[in-house]
Order: sequence, then C-alpha cells, then structure tokens
Amino acid sequence: MRKLVRFAAFAAAAVALAVLVAACGSSKKSSSGTTTTSGSSSGSQSKSVIGSGTFSSGTPAKGGTYTIGWEQSFGFTNNFDPTGEYLGNAWGLYSNLMLRSLVGYKHLPGAAGNQTVGDLATEAPKPTDNGLTYTYHLRPGVTFGPPVNRPVTSKDVAYAMNRLANPNDGGQYSFYYTVIKGWDAVANGKAKTVSGIETPNNSTIIFHLTKPAGDFNLRMSMPATAPIPEEVGKCFEGKPGDYGRDVVSSGPYMLQGADKVKISSCAALKPMSGYDGANGNHIILVRNPNYKQSSDPYRKNYIDTFKFVVNSNADDIFAKVQSGAYQDEVSSPAPKTIRQYATNSTLKPRMIPNVGDRTNYFTMNLTQPPFDDVHVRRAMNWITDKAALQKAWGGPIPGTIATHITPSVLYNGGLAEYDPYPSQGSAGDLAKAQAEMKQSKYDPGKTGKCTASACKGVLMIADTRGVDTRMIPVIQGDAAKIGITFKVRSINGAYTTIQTPSKNVPFSERPSWGKDYADPYTFFAELFDSGAIIKSGNTNYSLVGLTPAIAKKVGAKGNLTNVPSVDKDIDACSAKLADQRTQCWMNLDKKLMTQVVPWVPYLWPNNVFIIGPNVTHWNYDQFTDGPAYSSVSVK
Amino acid sequence: MTNPPEFQVSSGGAIALPAVAVAHKSPGRLFWERFREDKAALGGAVVIVVLVLIAIFGGPLAANITGHPQNTTYTNMTDAYGVPLGPNSSFWFGADASGRDLFVRTMYGARTSLFVGVVASGLAVLIGLVVGLVAGFFGGWVDTILSRMADVLLAVPQILIAVGIVAACSTNKNGCLGGLLQPGLTVVIAVITLFSWSYIARIVRGYTLSLREKEFVESARAAGASNVRILATEILPNLIGPLIVYSTLLIPTNILFEAALSYLGLGVPPDEASWGSILTDASGLYDVAWWLMVFPGSFLILTTLAFNLLGDGLRDAFDVRSER
Repeated sequence: MRKLVRFAAFAAAAVALAVLVAACGSSKKSSSGTTTTSGSSSGSQSKSVIGSGTFSSGTPAKGGTYTIGWEQSFGFTNNFDPTGEYLGNAWGLYSNLMLRSLVGYKHLPGAAGNQTVGDLATEAPKPTDNGLTYTYHLRPGVTFGPPVNRPVTSKDVAYAMNRLANPNDGGQYSFYYTVIKGWDAVANGKAKTVSGIETPNNSTIIFHLTKPAGDFNLRMSMPATAPIPEEVGKCFEGKPGDYGRDVVSSGPYMLQGADKVKISSCAALKPMSGYDGANGNHIILVRNPNYKQSSDPYRKNYIDTFKFVVNSNADDIFAKVQSGAYQDEVSSPAPKTIRQYATNSTLKPRMIPNVGDRTNYFTMNLTQPPFDDVHVRRAMNWITDKAALQKAWGGPIPGTIATHITPSVLYNGGLAEYDPYPSQGSAGDLAKAQAEMKQSKYDPGKTGKCTASACKGVLMIADTRGVDTRMIPVIQGDAAKIGITFKVRSINGAYTTIQTPSKNVPFSERPSWGKDYADPYTFFAELFDSGAIIKSGNTNYSLVGLTPAIAKKVGAKGNLTNVPSVDKDIDACSAKLADQRTQCWMNLDKKLMTQVVPWVPYLWPNNVFIIGPNVTHWNYDQFTDGPAYSSVSVK
Repeated sequence: MTNPPEFQVSSGGAIALPAVAVAHKSPGRLFWERFREDKAALGGAVVIVVLVLIAIFGGPLAANITGHPQNTTYTNMTDAYGVPLGPNSSFWFGADASGRDLFVRTMYGARTSLFVGVVASGLAVLIGLVVGLVAGFFGGWVDTILSRMADVLLAVPQILIAVGIVAACSTNKNGCLGGLLQPGLTVVIAVITLFSWSYIARIVRGYTLSLREKEFVESARAAGASNVRILATEILPNLIGPLIVYSTLLIPTNILFEAALSYLGLGVPPDEASWGSILTDASGLYDVAWWLMVFPGSFLILTTLAFNLLGDGLRDAFDVRSER
C-alpha cells in the first residue's frame, strides 16, 4: 500500500510537471494575468524609433510615482556614497535627480546628450592661462535640501573635491584630478586641502592645473565633484561609503526622510529612511522642497516620487513592467523578452534600444601564459565567433558587433568601418587564427594549434548571469579550435576577482566598460595606463604597462618581462585638443588592437529599456547610459 | 473406522507424522524470494540498471549517433533572438540556450548526476558507518562528542554553507585546502558528503546501541574477543542490511542536492552537463522552451522514483516483520 502511495505521488508530480509546462508554454499573457495595452486607451499615438532613444505618448504631466525594478542587487561600488560610487546606474540617480555638479548635461539621447552645459555653474568655461586655469561661477538659487536647507556655495564644491582627494574617503576615480595643483599632496597625506582650488567668494571657484587637460570640464561633470555640505560630510570622514545613507541633495529630489534627520551633531544624524541600499532593498526619492525649477533649464521633473526596488527575478521584473506595476527597469532583457516585444506591434514601441557608449570584451592577462604571447592574443581575436556571441545577448537589438576598443560615437563616428580582424559574417576565421598561432612559441610544431601545456586548462573567470552561461560554450568551442582549453570558474559578481591582480586571472569574459564622460580618455586611462593598476578595484585587467615594481606592489606574478606599455601614448593624447585629440585616440585604438592586443572586443551593447504601459514620456540619457529620470512622465 | 495414514496413532497414543524433508533456505535466498515478489522494486532495479548503462555509455553513444558533440553550439538551433529551438529530426530533445544538443547533454548529465550521487553517498555511508559504530559501541564522552557533531551538521543551513565553500574554492584554479579540493565535481562531492554522513551516523549509532546489548555480543566478549573483533564480526554484519537500504535511499537525495547546487550555479562547471544545470537554463525559458524542463526533469523524477522504490523493496525484503 505504501508503495502505491509513493508511486502515485511521483506520478502526480510528473503529471503536474507536464500540466505546468503545457499551461505556461501556451500562455500569451503576462504572469500577472493582464493584457498589455500601449497608449491605445489614451487615443494618442505612441511611438519609439529604434535607436532614437525616445518614447512619447501624449503631453507629459506632473505627478505620479515611478517605480523601477532593479535586477539582482543594486551592486553599488561604494554604498551610494558619491565620493566613491562608480556604478553607472547610480550616476543616473545622481545626475538626473539628486546632485548638481558644476558641469552637467542636457539629459538627452545621442550626441546632444554628451554636450556639456553649466549645471551648478552658469556655464562650462573656457580655460585661461594657457589652459591651466578654470574659473566657475555658481548659478544663483541652488539650495541644499533638508536637513541642511541653505544655499550651495563654492566652499561646498571645494569640500567635495578635498574629500575626493583624501585616500581615506573612498574615492575611486580621483586619478582624474591629479592635474589639479596640490592634489597629490593630499593624496599622499601631506596636506589636508588641495592648494590648487581657490574660493575667492561664495559663488566662485577656481582650479589651477599643473598641465593642460582638454577635457577638464568633462571631469567636473562627475558626481564625486558635486557639492557636499561640510556640516554633514564631517561625520563621515575616514568612513568610505557611510555617507551614502545620508546624501544631501542639491538637485530636484532628495532621499525620503531627509527632512526627518537631525544634524545637530554626528551622533544625532541617523540614516535617511528612503535609503536601504545597504540591505539591497529599495531607494525612495521625493521632491526636494528647496529646489527651484527656474534655476534648472534641463531637468523637467514631472514625477513626484521615484521608487527603486530590488527584485532578484528578472522574469518577474519584466512581467511587472508589462502589467504596469513597474514603470521601468534596470535589468537586461532576456532574448525571449526581446523577441516578445520585437514581434508584438502593441509592445514594440515600449522597447527602446539605445546606443550605449560601452564595449563588452574578453580580457587577456599579458603576464599569464599563453596570453603573454601576442600571437595567441591575435589568434583569439581571429577565431572568436562574434555573431554567435551577439546572439547569446539576444541578437542585433541588444548590441552591434564590436571591432575595436572604443565605440565610434566617442570618435564622432571615426573608425566606424575599422576592423583589424574581419571574418565572414563575423563568425571568426579559422585559417587566419591558425596562421597567427603558428607564429607563437606555444605552437612549436607549427600546427596552427596551441600544443603546449600552458594552453590546457587555462583559468577563465565568468559570471553567473544567463548571458554568461550562454556565451561560455561559444568561447570554449572557438578556443578549442586553436588548441586552447579553458577551465571555467563561474562566480556571482566576478568583478571582485578579476579586479584583484594578485589572483593572476589569465582570461575573463565578464568585463564591460562604459565611458565616464564623452571622451576616449575615460577608456584608455583607466583601462590601459600603468598608473591605474591598483591592488584591488583594478580596471586595467590585462595589466598593460605592468612593471616588476608595480607587480610587487599589487602582488601580481607571471611573465613580467617586456609587458607592453602605452603610457606615453595616453599622456600625449590627453594633452591635445579637439580634432587632434580625437585622431590621437583613434591611432592609439589601432595600436592597441594590432600591436598590444589586450582584449577581444565583441559587442557594443545597446541599452535596451522596456517601459510600462502608463509611461507617457521617456528618453535616454546619453551621459549616464540610462533613463533620463528627470524627463520621464506617467499618466 | 481407521484413521487416514497421516494420522496413524502409535501404541503410546502419540500421533506419528510422516517424515518430511525440510529444505534449508539461506538468508540470501529468503531475501531474494521476498524481494522478487515486489514488482515495483524490481522495476526500480531495472530502471537503475538502465540508468547506469546510460551513465556509462549514453553520452558518447548519443554524441556518436546524432553527430553532435556535447559542448558544440549550433547557431541554427537558436532563432534570430537567441531563443533555442525545439525538438526536430536531428535534435531529438531540442537545443539548450546555447544551441547545444539537449539529448546529448541529458545523456551526459546522467553520468554527472549518478556519479555525484553514488560517490557522495558512498563516502557519506563510509564516514557515517565509522562514526556511528564508534559512538554507539563505546558510548560515554565519545558518543557525546560525535553525536553533537552530527547534530550540528544536521542543524546548519546547508545551502548557505555550500555557497560559501564552493565560492571560496572556485576563485582559484588550484582550488582550496592546498589543492585537496579542486573546483568542480570534487568540491560538489565534498560538500554533499559533508552534509550527508551525519544522517547515516545517527542510524548506525541507533542500531549499534541495540546490538551491543545482544547475547551474541556478550558471549563474544566473554570469550575474550577484542572490541575491534566484536565490531567487525558481530555488529557490522548485522548492519549490512539496513546500510544497503539507507544508502539506496540516500542516493536520490544526493542527486537532488547536486541538482540544487547546479541550479544555483554552484555545482559542476558550466561546460559539464548535469540535470540540475540544464534545469537552470529552463528556469528562465520554461515559457518558451518547454523541452529544457521536461526532458531532464523527467529523468530526474524517474531516477529518484526508481531508487526510492528499490530502497523500499530492499527494506521490506530485509525486514521479515514488515508489512506489505
């Protein structure tokens, strides 16, 4: 009898499995059970044009709550503390909603979105004194939100910059500002304030540089440079990340609960209730009562409340967007979701692909066999089936095939046709790969395949996203054709591992890099300059320019002889201006792709956003590579 | 009236019964006669034999028949958006999210799943047997320490600790513990064994506590047998039956544990097939690619069912007092 019961239970499980699959496989509705409409109920036209980065359905109106489903975790690099926060998605909140840096943007898609304008400052000034001095005049009427409730002054900007220079306060991109006189003294602990920053009065701030930097205005657009009130900031000195719980707004929105916290003393200062980033749950922003729309020509600020909600289930995020429970998402739509929207005329307008200023690539460690041989690195570029990798991401909508380091849009369209490793259908070229491999020391028999033991079981660090598991077999299959076999280690959040040089990771498929601002310097300096190689949080994964001294400092081991360097090229290009500067970067791109070969770039991803049925206006912010939250509206 | 021959009364009045030859049946024969009456258990055993054959030969055979190696991707088996295509004449089970042949992967997955399940269970039984014997036989502080160790392992959140161990050992090509635990199957087996032995240890301890009070143990002790001899010759043989039963029941549990770890991305490396890792793919695609769930899921259900039925049958066959 007992066996019959057990058998019956299993049979029931099998039947349930079949019923579940049949039911789910035939369903055309979202999991919430509602059918999506797209603007039709309003009677107005809804449209988005692929690549335009905009959606419009009627006249935007003020009000409403905008809920954004955020996949997996916020993933903040510095707990939402603007001094060190380097996550692009966090910049979307800062730049659109919370912080006003001296220089800002128009929060538009395309080239217009990368043009600098004065935000806290009246304008992005031209340098004087042979490019060594930048003087900014603060716009009147910009006030800190609660609990500070006073006008922003030049001293608040200076305080933020000093905090960024202090190595104890968590700054992750302070290297951009080493051109300011006196910066290094603070960075080395020899001074408390940067001598090259001058505040002659409350509305003027002057920066004195050690050498010209043609992109200095762009550097002053990043969130770490936004003003911080010292009366709050002093409570977090030497505590990197903690200020993220109490970020004081200088923009149109503030953390919910900011008006309830007290700043009479550091002990009295409690975390604002709208922030729950530490637990990875939610961030809620409400209107800053001290914000004056008249002081801000570029932010529209239709929405009353923004709710950023972490949801670990990507399917659920898109189901909620489709049903209207969410209005937007910070996630990567799976291929099936892209197909659903692309093939449904009602849904299609609400899927908005946008050209992202970003490159996805494989990184090859120049010190680790077999990638310490440039012929092996070139062979990997020849053999990689980029078309299959593009399919793993969902086809041409999520991205275009990458053929060099920096997206052409950052060269104003330059190098658009440049492909040093062309192949039929971008599927890889076995013959060329083998010809390259034959020149490698790891193919002594000139077979076209890597026969040395160094090519067997090479460690590949991968992440655990769905797209990673789809890409891994393609990469392994391609590499096997030239004799390289990988031992794959999948790690949730692989960046921490590949950012640690002492782990000596030979290869990773995970990296993706987006501009910090619209200048190729933000690719080359951070990714290939030896000065960027640090013990943890390193982004020069390939260790280009590594010297034995640097290797000893960061704990890297391997073949340290003759690691190629492009430091001089970067220095030369960064001093140039305008067209000469662009041409210099393009030449460096070519040099990296053909002579140094640290990467296999494979995709310039489009940022595909899917918006909910009650969103009436949406556009892409080219600077933050995300939604222009300051322009969205709902009905 | 005379009595029938079988009831002939002797002169003393006692009833004389004709001599009947009594066939001697060994315990093994008794076991087999009871076992073979259990059709469900027999069926389970047959299925397991087939699964073992699949585990050994199925993967390479499937790759050979179909012409599709395990990890080769076929871009024509995903549509323009990268969504896998379903079963057809060349791809009998359809393709997975990377465009690989699901039939071939499922056959290779049997090898991984059964290997991990059987090896981990075997190791767990070995460790549990030793610990349980020692704890049950010697008692006292030895029993206290060993039993508390087992209790702790049964109480800890196994998945969370498995996450930590696998993550720690996976960031280095050489693994951890000085290379003793290599990333991949070794770590998975080690983690499953770590959390399985205590279950066997408690059962063995209980049986040992009971057996050590039996007369045959007393008489062996009185005859001067050492503790080791008593354990080996008196107690251990009486544990074989229950051990076989509980081992058989432990295997499907550990197969499911491996599937759970692979589902969480903590199990076998992505290039090795296991039913759990295939089901991970299915979780995001179940509504557009039903084959990813149905085929490996059916094999998992069938395997678990077969081992459970076999285990039940073995238990009933060993225990003459159990009800049918």
